[in-house]
Amino acid sequence: MAGYTTGVLLLVIVFGLVYFGLAHRVLDRLYLSDRAALVLIIAMIAGSFINIPITSGRVVTSVNAGGGLIPLGLAIYVLYRAGSSREAGRALLGAVLTAAVLFGISLVTRGREAWNVTGLSLLDPLYYYPLIAGVVAYLIGRSRRAAFVAAILGVLLLDIVDLFYYLRRGIRGTVAFGGAGIIDVTFMAAVVAVLLAEFIGEARERLQGGPEAAGRPRSLLAGLRGASLKPLPGNKKGIKGEQNE
Amino acid sequence: MNKWYRPDKLWRALVILALALTLTVISFYQGRQQATTRVFGLADLIASTHTEGQYAVLVDEEGQVLDMMARRVYINDEFIAADNRRYRVIRVEGNRAICRQIGIEQLSLEAEESIAANDTAVPVQAGGSQVIGVYHSHDDEAYLPTEGTESIPGHGGILQVGSAFANRLRSLGLNVIHDQTSHAPHDDSAYRRSRRTAAGLLQKGAAAIFDLHRDGVPDPSFYRSTVNGQDMTMIRLVVGRENQNMGANLDLAKRLKGAADARYPKLIRGIFIGAGSYNQDLSPRAMLLEVGTYTNTLAEAKRGVTLFADVVPPVLGVAARPAAARTASTAADWKGVFWVILALILGGGAFLVISAGGWDKAIARLKQFTSIEWVNLLGWQRLRKPLVVRIKGPGSKEPEAAVDQEKRSVNEAVPNDQRAGWQKD
Repeated sequence: MAGYTTGVLLLVIVFGLVYFGLAHRVLDRLYLSDRAALVLIIAMIAGSFINIPITSGRVVTSVNAGGGLIPLGLAIYVLYRAGSSREAGRALLGAVLTAAVLFGISLVTRGREAWNVTGLSLLDPLYYYPLIAGVVAYLIGRSRRAAFVAAILGVLLLDIVDLFYYLRRGIRGTVAFGGAGIIDVTFMAAVVAVLLAEFIGEARERLQGGPEAAGRPRSLLAGLRGASLKPLPGNKKGIKGEQNE
Repeated sequence: MNKWYRPDKLWRALVILALALTLTVISFYQGRQQATTRVFGLADLIASTHTEGQYAVLVDEEGQVLDMMARRVYINDEFIAADNRRYRVIRVEGNRAICRQIGIEQLSLEAEESIAANDTAVPVQAGGSQVIGVYHSHDDEAYLPTEGTESIPGHGGILQVGSAFANRLRSLGLNVIHDQTSHAPHDDSAYRRSRRTAAGLLQKGAAAIFDLHRDGVPDPSFYRSTVNGQDMTMIRLVVGRENQNMGANLDLAKRLKGAADARYPKLIRGIFIGAGSYNQDLSPRAMLLEVGTYTNTLAEAKRGVTLFADVVPPVLGVAARPAAARTASTAADWKGVFWVILALILGGGAFLVISAGGWDKAIARLKQFTSIEWVNLLGWQRLRKPLVVRIKGPGSKEPEAAVDQEKRSVNEAVPNDQRAGWQKD
């Protein structure tokens, strides 16, 4: 860092601010207050510098506090706070499917660069991981929180798959859960997945003219038009599509 | 009663299934179609596990071969050839990419500067504060003639090439961390794994990070060069297009090439600017090197990379005069800043308009955003005051407390309720 000059430093800082800003927006969606979200972001940045070794030797394993432990804790918290066991189940199913799809891609790309494989080559793995996590989680869980859980647990599951690969093949390897800290694919995937779910969700609601209310349990609908949504003066209650404004 | 049999569930499952099937069919079909032209697809994957030997040929519009590389090339990929001509891929036919010249890079000025800096520093003794990180995303990459195979997971010859590079940099007075962490297997997750290594190097203060690879073009002579009467491999610099640091890293690549051309002509194969990010989003001083190809010998590769190490300190400004020769900010750095901000504004704006349902509503929401969204982050002091008054009691200051209560806007009173609209599932 010492060798960086103004332009480079500014590039790093601006990108950091944008990323942390987005990350903060994302944490905001997870049953957290603004302040808690900010505290967590700071904790993750600080935790990025803390690697907790688990095993050493041929297969080295470690977990990063900022990129592994805190995101995992958050995912568990979101699952714990989920409105129904079905919601939690869907999020977990999303995680398993995300891991399965990403592992499938790893198998297809084994021995080659991802950009040498038809269809995967348009984007760097760094970017399609979260896209896949976001899409799969949204299809399964239909929620931003499910997308978050699926992305975090999905990528962590991939690391466990790696661990088994090293153990089975008897080759040396390193599994650093969330090793790059807050910029690790684990958390980055979650950030993009939630934003993507948000984008799909909003676009879909817009297209269909408001959240789908028919056939939903009353408790869920209450949340939709409860205290959180003070009716605007010109808002007629009960009309679909106006609730969300 | 079983909810899994509800029709919308069924539809969702069908959509996922259809998507998966379509993807499989497309990749299988393309694989079969391209098998004849030796480009990569699912079909050849089943037969072999490595792409070594499969490569793209870059030709100009007259069909003359400009370059070869073992990677898929896309329209709008660019490369700067050894003679500094810059080309852009305008058409791809099978494994042939047709390129058009779009200019000639002027690298000579920078080269002179670098040489000047280098000449004053023999032997170069840096302050020791600058750290250079070296790592290998594909640690399996090996050199066939020396090692008998092109892939040894966890122990490829590329690690020794990295050691040669690191040792030379150390002898030039730099602090080098050569991280030999294995990121096997060689698949699309290799960069996810190596990202952790790269981030670790940056955390340890690396001013620049180098990810060393070797190419997969079968012809050894394509990457072979003779410098000072010795055979050695040429080096290709690779810059990823898909990240905000592309401009800054391309600039670094050009400076490295300029300096190398001045000191060891024919050492640099060229600069390729292609799809991918290669963890270069982590640092504006991150470079991917292809040290020769798998059919070169390990010794050739070591010699090539050792010569390349000579031009690194002056270019990175970590040589004898660290302050004077510091890597200057370039237009590319500023452009990177501009792009990041532009992307944020465009992306955020598009999302806002879609989610709000129109311009007017988007603007209203933006106002709401600035007034409400941050309220319980910034509002703790605003909140505290009336509460204190209230605690003081219903006795003496009751009227004042009541006024305060009224003054409090609805937003401040129940920030989370107001914000709940943002906190949807």
